[in-house]
Amino acid sequence: MNFRRFTALLACLGVGIIVVIVAFLAVYSWPAVRLNGWGFLFDNSWDLGQLYGNPITVHGQQILPGAHYGILFLIVGTLLSTLIALAIAVPVGVGAALFLAEGMPPFLRSWLSFFVELLAAVPSVVFGLWGYVVVIPFLGQRLFPFMAKWFGFIPFFGGSTGSGYGLLTAGFVLALMIVPLIAATLRDALVSQPAALREAAVALGASRFETMRTVLLPATRRVLIGSSILATGRALGETMAVLMVSGNALNYLPHNIYTPISTMASFIVSQLDSALQDPTGMAVRSLAEVALVLCMISIAVNGLARLLLYYEGRQRASVA
Amino acid sequence: MGNLTESNVITGVPGSERFVQDFEKGVLQSTLKISVSQLNFYYGPRQVLFDVSLNIADRKITALIGPSGCGKSTFLRTLNRLHETIHGTRMEGEVLLDGQNILELDVVRVRRRVGMVFQKSNPFPKSIFENVAYGLKINKMGGRGLIQEIVEKSLHRAALWEEVKDHIHKSAYSLSGGQQQRLCIARALAVDPEVLLLDEPCSALDPIATAKIEDLLMDLASTCTIVIVTHNMQQAARVADHTGFFLLGKLIEFNKTDIIFKNPARKETEDYITGRFG
Repeated sequence: MNFRRFTALLACLGVGIIVVIVAFLAVYSWPAVRLNGWGFLFDNSWDLGQLYGNPITVHGQQILPGAHYGILFLIVGTLLSTLIALAIAVPVGVGAALFLAEGMPPFLRSWLSFFVELLAAVPSVVFGLWGYVVVIPFLGQRLFPFMAKWFGFIPFFGGSTGSGYGLLTAGFVLALMIVPLIAATLRDALVSQPAALREAAVALGASRFETMRTVLLPATRRVLIGSSILATGRALGETMAVLMVSGNALNYLPHNIYTPISTMASFIVSQLDSALQDPTGMAVRSLAEVALVLCMISIAVNGLARLLLYYEGRQRASVA
Repeated sequence: MGNLTESNVITGVPGSERFVQDFEKGVLQSTLKISVSQLNFYYGPRQVLFDVSLNIADRKITALIGPSGCGKSTFLRTLNRLHETIHGTRMEGEVLLDGQNILELDVVRVRRRVGMVFQKSNPFPKSIFENVAYGLKINKMGGRGLIQEIVEKSLHRAALWEEVKDHIHKSAYSLSGGQQQRLCIARALAVDPEVLLLDEPCSALDPIATAKIEDLLMDLASTCTIVIVTHNMQQAARVADHTGFFLLGKLIEFNKTDIIFKNPARKETEDYITGRFG
């Protein structure tokens, strides 16, 4: 086998794995997809039914009596927690990247950058444990009541603050996990911007901050978008840390930012044990359908990002 | 201000005193724009400029020539305090702009009054219009209508308007190298600087683009004081009123351009312009 064929095979392997995984999910969850229909996405009730009842037949499928599968609360919880994470992480990541790239002498930069990247290497379960032990008591007993009291006039900031497990906590822990991703990527892009651009701005009377805002950040916008999308993917799929701090709400739509939620990824883990008790197997197949939906959302987000970058690139190419 | 400092008085070559006197008179007749005295400059422990004293006449073109690494670009950067952006640099001595020490002026104001064009054209990754408007927006000069007007005027002054007027909102990167360099000149002109510093502005350009920029500089000299660093001695001879020759961080000789090229007082200058080294 020559080199060309060998590398072609390796390349196909990557594509093949994706196809096999999605195909498996689709095939395995197909009975559930047929049974649940569109209601799966828009209903807000996940019920395994009477685990010790005799299976009944619905639409030609055997299920437990009373079983119903709808995951609107999971979709909402996943998207909202990711959105909150991004809303926190993008400004923080940009600020950190600017500080690392522009705000310090080079020898300090490499050290601090190393620590920021180290943050990305911390296993998510560690984040989760820390969130569980340290963050939640603080948020639930101090910060959340404070926020509800003083910022309650902002929509979704008021109301009962619960115990600290919930949407905002999940978003906060997710944000911590994706900040280094954004900061490190953007820092590299900023550092590689030609010094000539900086000089041009400074020579026109721009301050350091103005140079960053008007020249460096616009020049690295594509990198920021790209890294934010990658971070989104990470946040959507994050399982363990979210499971430990989100409150694992079931069939419950958030009414403010403190409400307990569940996300698709963490729900699959937390429900798998119960689902295996279902003798008809439909519960596990429905969990596979959750995984399929998660996969499709991830692929859609990535595709959207590609499209965005492609159109932006084309816009530039057409003028370049 | 006004008097040439001692280091510019050239001695030792018979007949050269007469030229120097003429030169002094000439410079005194036109007012001084920038007066540099006893300038020493260091990158960390390394000294790169030694006791440079030089007077730059208002609305004239002053060329600085010399071999690579002789400090002429560094000298240029001290004139608008651009050296301050580099860590570990230190400047001693005095640079007076219209008689005021630039170190005592607001740095943003100095850089607005003393514009700069670099060796390699460095337009921003923005549209042609946005490039020229950049300095105006940063310095909050004028509203939308005025900015439009000044952008057009600046592109006219940089002899670029006719070539770009139909696609002013296209990317600056769509322009050729020579056009990009003229765009950078237009960008510098937009904030209406009193002095324009050019650091080898034509070194990356072909002869036609170079000729365009040289014509442009001679036009601009009626409204603006120009200091140009160049490797190209013919260029200095063509455009400059006054020329200074730098060698190893020292200003060897400074005089009217034709004297420097036809009858230099110092042996080093003669060796350099006749191509014996450099």
